Amino acid sequence: MKFAIAVFSPPYAPATRRALRFTEAALAAGHEIVRVFFYGEGVHNASANLVVPQDEQNIGAQWQALIQAHALDGVVCIAAALRRGVLNTEEATRWARPAANAVATLELSGLGQLHEAVQGADRLMCFGGD
Amino acid sequence: MATLHVVSSPPFTDSRLNSCLRVLGPGDALLLCGEAVQALREPSPMAQTLSALPAGALYALGEDCDARGLEQTLARQVDYTAFVALSLAYDRVNTWL
Amino acid sequence: MARSLLMVSRRAPWSGLGAREALDIVLAGGAYELPVAMLFMDDGVLQLVKGQAPQLLEQKNLGANLQALPLFGIEALFVCGASLAERGLSAEHLALDARIMQASDLAMLFNQYNEVITL
Repeated sequence: MKFAIAVFSPPYAPATRRALRFTEAALAAGHEIVRVFFYGEGVHNASANLVVPQDEQNIGAQWQALIQAHALDGVVCIAAALRRGVLNTEEATRWARPAANAVATLELSGLGQLHEAVQGADRLMCFGGD
Repeated sequence: MATLHVVSSPPFTDSRLNSCLRVLGPGDALLLCGEAVQALREPSPMAQTLSALPAGALYALGEDCDARGLEQTLARQVDYTAFVALSLAYDRVNTWL
Repeated sequence: MARSLLMVSRRAPWSGLGAREALDIVLAGGAYELPVAMLFMDDGVLQLVKGQAPQLLEQKNLGANLQALPLFGIEALFVCGASLAERGLSAEHLALDARIMQASDLAMLFNQYNEVITL
């Protein structure tokens, strides 16, 4: 079965770890992940700048690693990202900001990508809040 | 045509669980995870309300119960593998974000 | 056939990004001519109150964007009656023409859509 995963919470929220473990379980069960879409506070999972104490889990980095390892289509809502200061090189240049802090493996794009994922999946799973 | 509702917010300080219970319809199910599992602690008015749900309608993410030292009998505990299966057993999953 | 989506908007209008970001999902769906509907529930009903002046809080007028929903092809708009009553509101206070639903009808409403997002 095909899942569209939408993450609305930041790396340090339990819901974001829950989303990650759910996605891992879905992949282990042989399901397909059509897209992982990061929206709202979820855009912070795309930051390359996350520094987490050594004795804590870096869920943002784990998301980035999972997306890369399984060649998943990881997309970050560009509008949500910009207003929260998560920019890739292109946007940092466009808006003359001093730093590009988004990992290159996650694409910044529009909400159309969320809708496209919903259309192409059997199930939309949203994770967020607490 | 039924919905699996997912609530993770703390039940005594947040209104999402109560709002969810208001919307829950016949055939729907509720999965409690995160801090929301505290609602299962008996005896409490909230646990009382949950105990009135139809048989088989209440689930809880096992790791959240165990992590909080909560031993409960109201909800069927699931792991992530079962959570994935559950998400496909209903027509839609509505997470209270 | 396109999969349908119900957006349940629960946040108050001037309290952070929740109300705006829920609406953005709906407007994007409308722009792609997808079957999207919107239910205002809990504090979300406060978005619909007439006579608000967000410019006093130096915020953009969310109400104006809500009025634009039909222009985006989003005509299925619903409001939770119980949420209104709890907040001392009724149909006459609302700036938007939305169908008032009883709590007991909401499960059935959800059942009419392929997916639901509750923000």
